[in-house]
Amino acid sequence: MTVDYFDGRSARAHAARLHIEGDRLHIDGEQVSRTVPLSDVVWPERTRHGARVAHLADGASMHSRDSAEWDEWMKATGRSESLVVKAQQSWRWVCASVAVLVVALVTGYQWGLPWAARKAVAVLPHSVDESIGESALESIDKHWMKPSALPLEQQERIRAAFESAAATLPEPTVASHRLVFRKSMIGPNAFALPGGTMVMTDELVKRVGGDEAILVGVLGHELGHLRQRHGMHMLAQVSALGAVSAMLFGDFNALLAAAPVWLGQASYSRDAEREADAESVRLMKAAGLSPMVMVRFFEILAMPNPDEGKAEAKEGGAETSPKPIDDKAAPREPGHRSWLGIAIASHPADAERIAFFRNAAATR
Amino acid sequence: MTQSTWNGVAAAEPSFYAAGATGEQKLDIRFTGSGSEYFRIWIVNLLLTIVTLTLYHPWAKVRRLRYFYGNTLVDGHALDFHGNPWKMLRGYLLVAVMAAAYSVATKLSPAAGFVAFGIMAAIWPALFKASMQFKLANTSWRGLRFRFKGKVSGAYKALLPLFVPSLIFLAMTLGVKDPKSLGSQQAVALAALGIMLLAFLLVPLLLWNLKKYQHDNYSLGQLQTELKASRGSFYAVFLKTFGVSMLSSIVVGVIFGIAMALGLFSGLGGRGSAALIAGLVFIVIFMVALQIIPKPYFESRFQNLLWGKTDSDHLHFKSELRFAPLLWLTIKNWFLMIITIGLYWPFAKVAMARMRLEAVTIATTLRIDQLHDQLRVADGDAAGDAAGDFFGIDIGL
Repeated sequence: MTVDYFDGRSARAHAARLHIEGDRLHIDGEQVSRTVPLSDVVWPERTRHGARVAHLADGASMHSRDSAEWDEWMKATGRSESLVVKAQQSWRWVCASVAVLVVALVTGYQWGLPWAARKAVAVLPHSVDESIGESALESIDKHWMKPSALPLEQQERIRAAFESAAATLPEPTVASHRLVFRKSMIGPNAFALPGGTMVMTDELVKRVGGDEAILVGVLGHELGHLRQRHGMHMLAQVSALGAVSAMLFGDFNALLAAAPVWLGQASYSRDAEREADAESVRLMKAAGLSPMVMVRFFEILAMPNPDEGKAEAKEGGAETSPKPIDDKAAPREPGHRSWLGIAIASHPADAERIAFFRNAAATR
Repeated sequence: MTQSTWNGVAAAEPSFYAAGATGEQKLDIRFTGSGSEYFRIWIVNLLLTIVTLTLYHPWAKVRRLRYFYGNTLVDGHALDFHGNPWKMLRGYLLVAVMAAAYSVATKLSPAAGFVAFGIMAAIWPALFKASMQFKLANTSWRGLRFRFKGKVSGAYKALLPLFVPSLIFLAMTLGVKDPKSLGSQQAVALAALGIMLLAFLLVPLLLWNLKKYQHDNYSLGQLQTELKASRGSFYAVFLKTFGVSMLSSIVVGVIFGIAMALGLFSGLGGRGSAALIAGLVFIVIFMVALQIIPKPYFESRFQNLLWGKTDSDHLHFKSELRFAPLLWLTIKNWFLMIITIGLYWPFAKVAMARMRLEAVTIATTLRIDQLHDQLRVADGDAAGDAAGDFFGIDIGL
């Protein structure tokens, strides 16, 4: 086996011959003559293209002149290759890898990530939620909200109605919470922030004509988010998704890498909404309210807004930077939604949710 | 700054210059990697990285770099990468912990975010220097290791200015007493605008600063490079890129406008989907105008400037990366990336590496055989080496 030998101190190449005897490698050529234990040699891995360079501990190296010849020689010496090298050079292994990769990504996305997020959030003290929620509320207040214009007594009435409904639930299943009202620039909306703050906009209260049963149902949904710590899960999941996506696509284009995060976030968000809807039903049933009020709620939202034109035509709150983790009321064009719309929407389709509440009302 | 070491070397090795009289020698760069082979390496790397929850990352990186370096032939001799994945794992974990802590801190509160940003700014230059040092020290050609001779102080000078605009802005938003008052909101918005404008104007200068630090400190044997490009030439490239970007936006906008006028988009659905389609079209235009056309323009001009003006005594780089082929390749890569949902990536990467590397040639009057390291170099750098060794970080810059 003829190679170019470099001593690691100079760029001069020395033609040399390699041969293996027992467990020693002999290097002989112009101005070189040395013998090293095989275990001191770092051998190159086989690839179809590219040079073969073997290294010695003192910085010397041996460069093959012909990779194919080198591979033959290696094979003849009976050196075994790592599984990774074999896999990299076999299309069969590569196809199997693609299959396993897809399965791993899908399961990780579907179950692994939500599971890991739940576990990670479970060890976080609740004070972290509160601190995140506070800073989110601060920034929302700054950009999107004004102080509520609702009469204080109405605020108190809604609060009392909700508290008495919540009191019918078993104590440990009620998350700590605080209800605040705001006049918003984003139309009718209600959302829960990590740490326990539930924000309800004046516009939402007005839109449902102050109907307390509906408002209790909506707040039950938000309470569900709080109990499940959805906001925190979402933060954890989106961070992890961002890391994975950046790893997969990041060095091609950052914008392209953001797309899976965006879609994934929307999908996780829809799952969270379904869970929160179930919690809302739990509360309403405990309090003796019919889930039909939520059906009524969606019907109201689907109707054209009597006083405000199209102020709420967009997904409320979706644009605020520290996300108001959940937006509830945001009405959408009824029925008319393409698959594309579904893929990027943060909530399940209204029809699905209406059916859910209707069904809940029918079953005892 | 090369001069002092240079004289010593010249005295010790007079024959190094011997070829100087007889004329210039051209060293060309060839890239022999193949997309399909890199695809296989990439897939296996990806799988192992994901099933090990990214702990495999350093090994993947070593395999990737070995493949790319091993297929980069300079004057017929391949580069080589020597990084030890176990050492790199330490650096990787350190950076991962830091990144996690940083992202938690930014979400916790603005004040915590500010502190985290400050800490990051304070240690980043040192990490960057360690990373450069690690990368170069683990790259070899003809058995000789490259070296990065930059000093920590130089790294701070080169990198700290990059953080200044955001630091000022963060400090200001924190300093505002009453965020609700209209006056202070306007002040913040105005200041943000001013800082953004300033940052925009400063980008070429900051980049020059950084590149100067990097390209002044690459070393192989007795050679050390120096960046001879002026600040003005960096501004010229940015300005021209800005012009290309404007021009392509206008052209794409006009085409879109004409298409709209011709009613190409009418009848594509009701009011909701019309808005959606218009939005998508806008995004596509935005991408074409801001990413697909100006980016290869900038890359070709910038690479040519950067490497064309990187010299060492008796050795010159030359880069002739042309815009049109690079643009074509970029468009092709984008198209195939999208229709293969990312699986084309390794092919794109190999094609890109080939085009960019093969555009570079090296002209020298030196006798390459005479390149050598002085006896046990870098004694004075031992501490820095240890740091580079400990971190073993690559930040991908």
